Amino acid sequence: MKKIGKPVFFIVFVLILALAYTSMFGVYGENGDFDVTYIKGINDIRWGIDINGGVEAVFAPADGIDADETQMEDVKGILDSRLVGQNITDYEVYPDYEHDRITIRFPWKSDEKDYDPDAAIAELASTSELTFKGGTESSGEVLLTGKDVKRAYATYQQTNNSSSSMEYVVGLEFNEEGKEKFKTATSNYVGQQISIWMDDELLSAPNVNKAIEGGSAVITGNFTSKSATALANKINAGALPFKLIVESYGTISPSLGSNALQAMGIAAIIALALICAFMLIMYRLPGFIAFIALIGQLSISIMAVSGYFTIFPSFTMTIPGIAGLILSIGMGVDANIITAERIKDELWTGKTLDGCIRNGTKGSFSAIFDGNITVIIVAVILILVFGPANILSSLFGVSTTGLIYAFGYTLLVGVISNFIMGVAASRLMLRSASGYKFLRNKKLYGGAKS
Amino acid sequence: MMRQKFHIDFVKNSKIFFCISLGIMLVCLILNLVLLPTIVDIQFTGGTIIKYNFGGEPSHAEIEKTVTETLKGIDTLKNEKVDFSYSENLAANADDSTKHIISLQFTGNKAVSIEHKQAITDALQKAYPDNSFAEESSTAVDASKGANFFLKCIIAVILAAVLMIFYVAIRFRKIGGLSAGVMAVVALIHDLIIVYFTFAIFRMPLNDNFIAVVLMILGYSLNDTIVIYDRVRENRRKSGPKTTTAELVNSSLNQCLTRTICTSITTIIAIGSVLVVSLIYGISSIISFALPMMIGLISGSYSSLCIAAPLWVIWKNHQAKKKAEKKKNGTSDKTKKDKKTKKEDKKDLTKKEEDTSSET
Repeated sequence: MKKIGKPVFFIVFVLILALAYTSMFGVYGENGDFDVTYIKGINDIRWGIDINGGVEAVFAPADGIDADETQMEDVKGILDSRLVGQNITDYEVYPDYEHDRITIRFPWKSDEKDYDPDAAIAELASTSELTFKGGTESSGEVLLTGKDVKRAYATYQQTNNSSSSMEYVVGLEFNEEGKEKFKTATSNYVGQQISIWMDDELLSAPNVNKAIEGGSAVITGNFTSKSATALANKINAGALPFKLIVESYGTISPSLGSNALQAMGIAAIIALALICAFMLIMYRLPGFIAFIALIGQLSISIMAVSGYFTIFPSFTMTIPGIAGLILSIGMGVDANIITAERIKDELWTGKTLDGCIRNGTKGSFSAIFDGNITVIIVAVILILVFGPANILSSLFGVSTTGLIYAFGYTLLVGVISNFIMGVAASRLMLRSASGYKFLRNKKLYGGAKS
Repeated sequence: MMRQKFHIDFVKNSKIFFCISLGIMLVCLILNLVLLPTIVDIQFTGGTIIKYNFGGEPSHAEIEKTVTETLKGIDTLKNEKVDFSYSENLAANADDSTKHIISLQFTGNKAVSIEHKQAITDALQKAYPDNSFAEESSTAVDASKGANFFLKCIIAVILAAVLMIFYVAIRFRKIGGLSAGVMAVVALIHDLIIVYFTFAIFRMPLNDNFIAVVLMILGYSLNDTIVIYDRVRENRRKSGPKTTTAELVNSSLNQCLTRTICTSITTIIAIGSVLVVSLIYGISSIISFALPMMIGLISGSYSSLCIAAPLWVIWKNHQAKKKAEKKKNGTSDKTKKDKKTKKEDKKDLTKKEEDTSSET
């Protein structure tokens, strides 16, 4: 075993503290008169309807269209996907098949400066049909539609005129039918322009140089990372079968309120304190290290919810979500408990301390690994089935379910952060700390006095 | 030889454990069917949402009291559960007297008739003459997550279960992983049934919380079982072929017991803090998350120790018996490996009924 230097303990410790501080309080600065967020903290999390209230809107088909039940179900599915595409996982959609109405509720942070509920509702209600047309007029011949697209994604590429600068674009992959149509269209329009539209908005109008057979295309046009992602999500969610009008909309008061948020904060602190005490009594030094790792693990979970970096949107955090996060505090020390128990077992056989730590960490890895892999299987299935990927959609129709998707996501993050903190960081700290003379008493590891 | 603090014979006592589990389930089932029918949330059943607009700022708790008391006087709606939510109308035509909106959500398919709606309006107007209560709209809501959603959840759980059995079968092939995986899933089903009954017995509606608890317990219980199998796998490697499956599993369970208990304690501390705080603050939606979660966690630890592992031993012994019978009937293709397993199987058989408490 390579010896781990004594300072490693403090390096890992300081890194975890820094992570904990930034993930909770964020990093903000000022640029002239503007407040700039560099790293998002707890205050930048989008809270759910239960904590912060939200917006309620009732949609109806435009022009008095009489929608049938399948169409209404399609509309519901597409609205689900659009909301989850915006990382709004705490929402409710209630279809009323009798009167062709859809009621939708989603959280909205009232003091959010760059959030406009009118625009958000208008965007949800838009048909969002992607079309490729011949020429640059909106009346041009429709060559392809969003139905021919298999997948859209935000990406970036070099700009045409200079090789050094990069720009954000939306990449499109066509399905089999789309590939054929795109090949025919591009061969018909060689030397002319094809225009790409989202409803009535012209996105770009590239020149066709030659027929394209690959079955993929990109949409350019002054995108930022955010707007490219938004457009890709919109295309993936699909077009509504008809235009929706907003029949009424209003704000809804929080059902639980800030009181509940405070209560969860108290519960989290109590849980942390009790677990810290328990781990110290049961496992002493490894217990203390487990607690530091636990703080790091919790920080990673908060990072994953808030987005941490400003380019990632925040997930919606509801009161049950917070309760789940607190629960993960309890489960998070499991890897440390397994390892510490192993080290105790080894100490009982009377080997040297270093040998015990080495055998203990080695012997416990397979249990931690297999246990966590099976949890990862559960998490990935939930993300794939209930998230935007919707792998069972051919059986059940598109039905994205925000809450379960969010649950799968936090579960996955929990397991990954457990590997980083509970396994890797904990072991580094333990081996480094055991290099100090005053920490070499076997009693500190749960063994008999050395 | 390992340090071992406990000497509980899980395998020998397995019949007692099975009886306890089945007994609890049976009692719950009877209670559930006779006295305490399951409540299902509006998201799954559909229902009616009635909205009233009003002005001023009357106390929300008082309004809810007025409505609940009115409903008590109506026979068909007496036992209906109503959810209240408040909103503010932002539309341009709303003035001060119609700005505030209260929504009543009725679950279930029972129609709320025009007379009943009028009765509620009358009661509100009588109680608050200055707030101009008026019915604004009444919407029939279809289940936003209907039978299809439940079916999808079940398919997802089955898909996860199949993949997990597959994974366990590969990773634990040295100890007969396929049967181990199946038994782990049996323990999971045990836990899910317990969670379901917790919701039913405590009169908590099946809603998003139910799905969240079920999924969480799925991950937790499985993790617990795998850690035990890991120890069995390791002990099988260390011990000679003379050790019977029962001995092997018993010593593995006892070695893992401290870990299982400690992890349960830290997890229960965490969810217990949430439960106690929400009881003090009276946050009912969290109580209906934390309580079943806590019971599910206890069931998850219990089922890993007392259901999955002993069941697996019974299965293994059953298999060994069948194999031995086949051998007796005279198949004589004996490779060296076969001989070894036969010896092992016979040991299994002869030792099966003996007291198998493991040595220290």
